[in-house]
Amino acid sequence: MEIRGRCWKFGDNIPTDKIVRTDMIFKPWSEILKHVLESCNPEFPAKVKPGDIVVAGKHFGQSSGRAIAAKAMKQTKVGCIIAESFARTFYRNGFEIGMPLLECPGITAQVSDGDILRVEIESGKIVNEKTGGEFEAKPTPPFLLDMLKAGGLIAMADRLAGEG
Amino acid sequence: MNMVEKILARASGRKAVTPGEVVVANVDCLLLHDLSGYLTAKVFEEQVKRPMRYPERVVMIFDHHFSPPNEEQAVLLQQNRGFARRHGIHLFDCGNGNTHHVGVQNGFIRPGTVVVGSDSHTPIHGTLGCFATGLGNDSHAGTVMPFGKAWFRVPEAIQVRLTGRHKPGVTPRDVVQWLIGTIGEGGAIYKALEFTGPYIHELGVWDRWLFPMITVDVGAKCGYIEPDEKTIAFVRSLTDRPFDPVTGDRDSTYEAVWDWEISDLEPQVTCPPTVGYVKPIGAAAGAPIQWAELGGHGGGRIEDIRMAAQILRNRKVAPEVKFNLVPSSRAVFTQAIREGLVELLHEAGATWFPASTGSNQAINMGAMAADETMISTHARNFPGRNGSPEAKMYLASALTVAASAVKGCVADPREFLS
Ligand code: SF4
Repeated sequence: MEIRGRCWKFGDNIPTDKIVRTDMIFKPWSEILKHVLESCNPEFPAKVKPGDIVVAGKHFGQSSGRAIAAKAMKQTKVGCIIAESFARTFYRNGFEIGMPLLECPGITAQVSDGDILRVEIESGKIVNEKTGGEFEAKPTPPFLLDMLKAGGLIAMADRLAGEG
Repeated sequence: MNMVEKILARASGRKAVTPGEVVVANVDCLLLHDLSGYLTAKVFEEQVKRPMRYPERVVMIFDHHFSPPNEEQAVLLQQNRGFARRHGIHLFDCGNGNTHHVGVQNGFIRPGTVVVGSDSHTPIHGTLGCFATGLGNDSHAGTVMPFGKAWFRVPEAIQVRLTGRHKPGVTPRDVVQWLIGTIGEGGAIYKALEFTGPYIHELGVWDRWLFPMITVDVGAKCGYIEPDEKTIAFVRSLTDRPFDPVTGDRDSTYEAVWDWEISDLEPQVTCPPTVGYVKPIGAAAGAPIQWAELGGHGGGRIEDIRMAAQILRNRKVAPEVKFNLVPSSRAVFTQAIREGLVELLHEAGATWFPASTGSNQAINMGAMAADETMISTHARNFPGRNGSPEAKMYLASALTVAASAVKGCVADPREFLS
């Protein structure tokens, strides 16, 4: 699975509350999407395009375990999220809803906002077309790649529970 | 194997598991609160569309609401009630207390079991010797509700050994906050933290409880304390349902062992804007506050209410401060009444709220304007959780929160203890 898109860069320790504000969680997607990550970059909600790539620092998606933060990122149609590291609930939720995530320590120093990145999810290969830099993300566990291929957890639940 | 590995092995029908392996394990208890419950219910009924296999293992607690403040919220709670009725799960309606306390007090949490919940502080139940962790809506709706199972990657474990005795005016809560500051936000991503050492084992169960609570904020998957006689006696006092406690093997391996002696610690304050900004009280004292609260999952225990009373006996809350008291469960409020603490704190100028989660996320109370500041026993202080994103939140022990309520600014409780 290859993704090519424009890079949006964010800092360390971004909590789920900044991805989707608490007062937004029961609103329709159309409302939520106007505010995703807005307090970190006010341009993001209006200008993010399908296939763009979010690059974040350490511990992205910390705090609440609500899948709505991962779901909102998927709704923006970004192609994938690369972070130095993820909060474990965000990481888990991402794959469960079929959203590819890659962990690549050191990546934030190698890319800037607006660079065009090319990412190969299975191998974890990341290319910055602007600088020519090439990076290797940590390998994704095969179990999670499987889940991604199935389209998320619910699609493979029977098989997982041994009842499929 | 350590405790978590043994529990996961047993629950997944294996002889042994090793860190990094993915297992599918039986889940003994799923805790949902009024917000996460609503989101999970939607996924279960709209996308999964299957019967609930073990409704007796699923518990929903309305804790962010103690009473709906508007029609929208009233409808949300109605929908949750309908869901609970349709599927026959346990429901604890408004006024019972916060999720985790209600789960424990009603005997749903027993040593040796697997506990999951959408609240990210679910690892708190590692206090009673459970493997407990927070999962997302899709895990709960997709595999826990229809099959009673969930997938887990077996975590690497780190042992946190604490020794020493805290000084007067310092409480287990201060030790916990210091630990978050020391380990750092994201300092233990994905690990299982075993809390042990003489300091931990001398504490009562409700004081131990504060330690696994923090694991999510340092990024860990779970935290736990191996069950001892205190744990067993505590759980037996709440339920007669059987349980089979598990402790780690003598030769369990840990990725690291962190040893700390805590006798020199001062009271600690977590400063805005995130849980990692922890300072000794001297560095934060003097900052003006308008709100103080004992509540959230970090506070509102009877221990916290007693500490507040210790400070407020013969003193008054400062006129510019609103001091909110939120018992963590009905049982705690009953106890506070018996001990005369309800009257004492009421007369001192504090305001009692119904048993709930308090103003965490300001769903039902506790919103602030941009220039306001609160000090509380909550678990978190991220901006925007209490009204304006510019409002500030300090976190501290009940002693420090009460002392600050008296002084009108962040205050060292030792000034009031002699
Ligand atoms: S911070 Fe506390 S009250 Fe808020 S969701 Fe987490 S455990 Fe519940």
